[in-house]
Amino acid sequence: MTESSIPADIAAMTFEDALAELEGIVRRLEGGQVRLDDAIQSYERGAQLKRHCEQKLSEAQQRVDRIVIASDGTVSSEPVKLD
Amino acid sequence: MTLLYTHEACAAHDPGPHHPESPARLAAVLSALAGPEFAALDRREAPEATIEDIARVHPRRLVEGLLAAIPKQGYASIDADTILCPDSGRAALRAAGAVAAAVDAVVAGEDKTAFCAVRPPGHHAEPNRPMGFCIFNNVAIGALRAREVHGVARVAVIDFDVHHGNGTQARFAADPTLFYASTHQSPLYPGTGAASETGVGNIVNLPLRPMSGSNEFRQGMTRVVLPALAEFAPELVMISAGFDAHRADPLAQLMLNESDYEWITERLVEIARDHSRGRVVSTLEGGYDLAALGASAATHVRALMAA
Repeated sequence: MTESSIPADIAAMTFEDALAELEGIVRRLEGGQVRLDDAIQSYERGAQLKRHCEQKLSEAQQRVDRIVIASDGTVSSEPVKLD
Repeated sequence: MTLLYTHEACAAHDPGPHHPESPARLAAVLSALAGPEFAALDRREAPEATIEDIARVHPRRLVEGLLAAIPKQGYASIDADTILCPDSGRAALRAAGAVAAAVDAVVAGEDKTAFCAVRPPGHHAEPNRPMGFCIFNNVAIGALRAREVHGVARVAVIDFDVHHGNGTQARFAADPTLFYASTHQSPLYPGTGAASETGVGNIVNLPLRPMSGSNEFRQGMTRVVLPALAEFAPELVMISAGFDAHRADPLAQLMLNESDYEWITERLVEIARDHSRGRVVSTLEGGYDLAALGASAATHVRALMAA
């Protein structure tokens, strides 16, 4: 599986939706009632979902504003670039 | 039989992963107060504070500016320790509103004592500067509401959090109708709270060296803080109840245990009985070891219920 292989339907998912589907896959695999072919497919899709979730999380963590309070009490905020 | 104010919004304030002032703190306190011995608590939902209430402590422009700067997503930082998430504004309003509502209820005689299980904490928030995990100064907002709305002539705040409540002191220091006393570790964040900081004779600071324990704490309270409080003759006693002076706390090195919180709460209840018609409003500040926090808060509330 290559790094660029997140399918469009997953790429369009919200974090919550992707996590929910991932949890469903984990439950089915853990239940052990999946045929081997399906299990491999499910595993691949699960890995893609996991990667998408991680990307979403890291995007959210990058989004940090800095709040600046002036001496007269005026509040402003500016985006902070994280490394 | 003691009011308990809280709101689920206070658990939604999330300053980020690995931050000690975590939502799990509130869960630890509420779960410690869930047992049958606390069934008699009068549990109430904290309302949101009004801008008018908050503006008695912080300039209105700052309050409105901060609420407008709450991030839509991700985080916004006021300083390295003080981080806002999209839910932080609602949490801060409920935390301040809890104390304001507790003051209303206790002054109206609905109960003698109240505890506000809230976060973010408040005592570091100076009038012009939120800091140190704190957004609005909840206890000061309650104290000023007692005085301005209910005409309570003298309001005292006793702060046994391990950190000095620089924000509360900053708001109270020039006002002889307000009294602030703090025991805290020194040296430690935020660096204020020297014994020489006395306001207009209404501020009492008792810095304690790291590794001080029950003896130093109780002697200092008995010799310095409690006599000054009694002399002030408060009409309302308020408590900034931080439990991070507990020996298990990861952020400081005082060596208190639960029995010290029982002891000080009983002493404050006695002074309230003598001067304040028994009226005590306490609010949660710090406390970062979850087990010690839960046990200490339970001990504190138990002593309030016995008042």
